[in-house]
Amino acid sequence: MDEAVNGKSVQDQSGNGVGLRPDDELTWHRVHPVSPLVRGWVAVAAVIFIFGRNSLENVFSGHWDGNPGSLAQTAGAPVLVIAAVVAAAVVVFGSAFFLSWRFTRYQVTDEHVHINSGVVFRQQRRARIDRVQAIDVVQPLLARVFGLAELKFEVADGGKSAMKLSFLKLPEAQRLRAAILARASGVAGDPESPGEVHEAPETHVLALKPGRIIAAAIFSSTTIFALCVVAAAVVAVVWSGEPAILVAGVPIFIGIGASYWKSITGDFNFRVALSPDGVRLHYGMLETRAQTIPPGRVQAVGISQGPVWRPLGWYRVHINVAGYGADSSNGGSRSVLLPVGTLDEVMAVLGLVFPDPGVDNPFAVFAAGLQGPGSAEGFVHSPRSARWIDPLAWRHNAFRATETALLCRHGVIFRNLQVVPHEHTQSLGLRQGPLMAALGLVDFELHSTAGPVRPLVHHLSVENGQRLFAEQAARAATARRIHRREKWLAPDDDPAPVAEPAGSPDPMLEHAEPAHPVAERAEPPQEHPHDLPPQEQNRGD
Amino acid sequence: MTAAGRKNLPKQLSSAIDPGDVVFLRVSDKLITARFISSGVGALIFLALTAVPLVLKLTGVWAGYPAWLAWAAPAVVVIVMIWEMILIPRQVRAIGYAERDDDLLIRSGILFHRVMVVPYGRMQYVDVTMGPLERMLGLSTIHLHTASPGTNALLNGLPAPEAARLREQLSARGEAKLAGL
Repeated sequence: MDEAVNGKSVQDQSGNGVGLRPDDELTWHRVHPVSPLVRGWVAVAAVIFIFGRNSLENVFSGHWDGNPGSLAQTAGAPVLVIAAVVAAAVVVFGSAFFLSWRFTRYQVTDEHVHINSGVVFRQQRRARIDRVQAIDVVQPLLARVFGLAELKFEVADGGKSAMKLSFLKLPEAQRLRAAILARASGVAGDPESPGEVHEAPETHVLALKPGRIIAAAIFSSTTIFALCVVAAAVVAVVWSGEPAILVAGVPIFIGIGASYWKSITGDFNFRVALSPDGVRLHYGMLETRAQTIPPGRVQAVGISQGPVWRPLGWYRVHINVAGYGADSSNGGSRSVLLPVGTLDEVMAVLGLVFPDPGVDNPFAVFAAGLQGPGSAEGFVHSPRSARWIDPLAWRHNAFRATETALLCRHGVIFRNLQVVPHEHTQSLGLRQGPLMAALGLVDFELHSTAGPVRPLVHHLSVENGQRLFAEQAARAATARRIHRREKWLAPDDDPAPVAEPAGSPDPMLEHAEPAHPVAERAEPPQEHPHDLPPQEQNRGD
Repeated sequence: MTAAGRKNLPKQLSSAIDPGDVVFLRVSDKLITARFISSGVGALIFLALTAVPLVLKLTGVWAGYPAWLAWAAPAVVVIVMIWEMILIPRQVRAIGYAERDDDLLIRSGILFHRVMVVPYGRMQYVDVTMGPLERMLGLSTIHLHTASPGTNALLNGLPAPEAARLREQLSARGEAKLAGL
């Protein structure tokens, strides 16, 4: 049924691993016919529930009437009503679903992804494939039952409007993802079968055990909140001598339980893998999600640790990706690179997103950035005068610039390390209020794309702040000139990377380097004439 | 420094956190007029509202209203208004911008001071706007947007021709230096 749109036949969809040819202008595909139902099942369920309950009540009240004549009447009418309602619902939902399915078409050409949708308000969307920031394959629970998946294609628009294809058969979604990524990367096609692509091989890097996820949920701020609520409840009961007062707490406890449930099911089976197309994250218990973030698309990384996790040595890693924006759906879980990890695991995932840390001893430098305090490993912290505003944290608030990234460390109770590659610096700012002026301090802020990481260095001395401001502007300008290309595997670059031998996830920063030849810093631009074509493409946009 | 010939170069309020070797261009002094008018109108409306109890008391409609309160409220508004008016010229003179080879520098504020650098290659688009008051005085506002929501690069009170020149200049340089995200 997907075939024969516009009289042109669609390529064979059953071929497995054959890859996908680019569509020409007249070839359109449809999403899976069940998709409107999978998307709209809540509405259907609500209608069935409301009418079903009313009708059942009528039927049962008819049975209990006791009078056979009235039973026939009261039971007869509802049956007709039920039949009519069901028929009407089937017609209404069915035609709505059919129209919505019928009017949704998509096309993946060499350059663009097109999606046309909408019945009354038609929408035609077109996104450039080389501008892809990330691709997600999402499977909500009901979609998993049908073996379907949603494909989300992110472009850099602050997370407002992803290109969504919901729903496709899972293998089809994966093939499309591979095709889009292959075209975005500019990988050289197989000369014998031009246009066909194969899914890039995935190398396992690390997985989180269920025990760790559950422990992370238990040792979290939710638990502190729960303990506070319990304490308050106990106090209230003792003080009033009225155990019934606990009823008031029930909604709060339901909320706490839901929060635990969400954080455990959301991060369950968290796996990080690496492919030449980027970092791939798999997670979820009921709704599963596979995120792919191509190389160089991570704008900033934030590593944080609260006081509860300190003794356990765990950290959480967030990222800014232009397409994710300040997306708060799913509790912002899409911008989590690692929900809970030890220092070694943090270093391993950092190595995936920043293959080139720009220092000789990355482990020591990043560890100093995470653990502080003081000026070990070249960190520059606030001057002594800052202790009047930051009595505890002044030796923790620090920065360190490596050759490829700026590291901002702050906080003593909630520790944070923010890493921004120089080539992803958007703009810089210095701020000073009257109190800071009196103490000779200045705040340095670095603007990244919308997301959970907002890089900032608190309370530098004016001299250091000014120097950082000037140097960082120069470093960002240099990094922009030698910026890696948008197409990360284009054929005129080094030969396509060979996947590492599986089963050797070495948790060091050097780990990812063999798989990312393009991520190595390029020479100055004059020696790289082939850096120009993508620039010209940019201009055309 | 293409507009270096403009006469309003010096007399810049200097500050400790400005980059040392940069000469900032100032925005038009007409912005002082514009801000006087806009904040003056706002303050007058507020003054009129706070003066209502005083009028009621003086006309004897609401004689029971405490006299000190009736006088204090408008008095506070007047003091704040005068304070604001005194600050406005200094604030406007503190706004400055400088076009460097790779980026645009913007500074503002005296007490709450801010310096910002926006690389040309990072600009996604440039907004030039003109409100009714600005149009009367021949001023424009220019707003630079990068991919970051944190970039709040706003320049008020540019003379309209200078705003047009800056916009063209920024677009041209942005195109020449454009980098990916």
